[in-house]
Amino acid sequence: MSRPDAKQVKVMTEVAGVPQDTEVAERIARSIGPAFDGFAPVAGTLPMDLEPATFLLVQNAGVSK
Amino acid sequence: MSGEPALMSMIDVANAIRDRKISSREATQSCLDRIAKWQPHLNAYMAIETEEALAAADAADAALAKGKIAGPLHGVPMAHKDMYYDAGKVTTCGSKIRRDFVPTTTSTALQRLKDAGTVRLGSLQMVEFAYGPTGHNPHYGAVRNPWNVDHITGGSSSGSGSAVGARLTFAALGSDTGGSIRMPAHFCGVTGFKTTVGLISRAGAMPLSQSLDTVGPLAQTVEDCALLVGLMAGADSADPTTSTRAVPDYMSAATGSMKGMKIGVPTAFYVEDLDPEVARVLDETIATLGKEGAEIVKVELPDQRQLSAACQLVLAAEAAAFHKRWLIERPQDYGAQVLMRLQNGLAIPAVSYLEAMRWRGAALAAHLAAVTGVDAVIAPVAPMPAVTIAESDIGNSHDAEAVIQRITRFTRPINYLGLPSLSIPAGFTAKGLPVGMQLIGRPFDEAGLTRIGAAFQRATDYHQQVPKLP
Repeated sequence: MSRPDAKQVKVMTEVAGVPQDTEVAERIARSIGPAFDGFAPVAGTLPMDLEPATFLLVQNAGVSK
Repeated sequence: MSGEPALMSMIDVANAIRDRKISSREATQSCLDRIAKWQPHLNAYMAIETEEALAAADAADAALAKGKIAGPLHGVPMAHKDMYYDAGKVTTCGSKIRRDFVPTTTSTALQRLKDAGTVRLGSLQMVEFAYGPTGHNPHYGAVRNPWNVDHITGGSSSGSGSAVGARLTFAALGSDTGGSIRMPAHFCGVTGFKTTVGLISRAGAMPLSQSLDTVGPLAQTVEDCALLVGLMAGADSADPTTSTRAVPDYMSAATGSMKGMKIGVPTAFYVEDLDPEVARVLDETIATLGKEGAEIVKVELPDQRQLSAACQLVLAAEAAAFHKRWLIERPQDYGAQVLMRLQNGLAIPAVSYLEAMRWRGAALAAHLAAVTGVDAVIAPVAPMPAVTIAESDIGNSHDAEAVIQRITRFTRPINYLGLPSLSIPAGFTAKGLPVGMQLIGRPFDEAGLTRIGAAFQRATDYHQQVPKLP
């Protein structure tokens, strides 16, 4: 996963229905870039059978030490 | 009874009212007297409801005279973060957009405290829509730290931290999505309890991120917080995400010692890039925990930066979705910083958001494997004590997000994992600013954290310190 650049951000905000101008898009790209960088080692590596509700299973199983 | 009733702990004042050593009116008037003195300095309250509070206190006293006790907090005055819906009362959520919003329902958490007998003092300030870690608010003004009014309270439960710190309420609800209970507790020198995701109903609490939002209290002591958590916890048909597991007796846990408890000290991340005074307090806290009988062990936690990044992706996307209508219709009515952060969420692709959600279970499993046999992990709440309001007034500057991420560095990973975390006052800087430490527990083990935290507070007196009027 790579961080979106300002041009991509501009398109994404338009698709989201809340279009932003170029200056805001540049600012957004700078702000969220580190989150994409930080998550990059995980992105694209998850096994197919993992789904969000797994969290609840692990949470309930992890009560006792 | 000698001294100011407002300086008592919540449990002590509840007991004193029930035993008729003081009346609810006296306790309420004591809080109102302190509010009148401190509010001009702190801006902690959003609304102060003097007449209504005194009338409710009188009603509580009258009921008690007839032998009727509503619950364990009968007649105890309180105010909460202005995002808990209270039917018929304006609930601003710290925003211009909801300046005149009057909910028609009452939040489950608040209702359960009302059922326990509490008296409403008013409502407390907060960061706009609970989306900021410093305590600034462009619509209602920054809330100020009672230990030094030039410094931040932390956010987003800024009024809760400030008001409890100055003893303007016996306790206050906060909410914690990325650290918003623990940071004000740390910066303002009070106890704050971020609960396990799913322990307390979020029904009627303003949403920010449905996956990360948690309800919890700030108060003077661990026991106060534990009693409040116990009163609020448990299944709620209005919030089907709330756990159906039985609620333990947290108050009996508070009487236990630290003997037999194993506390983990992280070998990385939480011990890096610390302000020297925070590092000193961490060392002192570990020493106290060991002296009180806890076994101290090193723990190697998984990469916390990845957890933090995942938290950012989830929070940004969910917050933007909640606010999309107003982002289209009323963008001019947001403060600059909150608007900026909400806009960030528009650029999180659905696949990235869902990957972050899918990884959550695996990440929690990895964390639990790393802390096998450990009751709690000790860590600073933030790398630094409270900075000044001026130096953290970042608005929508290019550096704003980086500054926000630094302040919330040690809290966000815990929100992503959905774990409970108890913030306890643990020391002071040379300049008199409080420093808090967080005890991070296992899922739904608020009882274990209560046991450790209460034992720590029996061995220390940081939580009993009261700031002086400026």
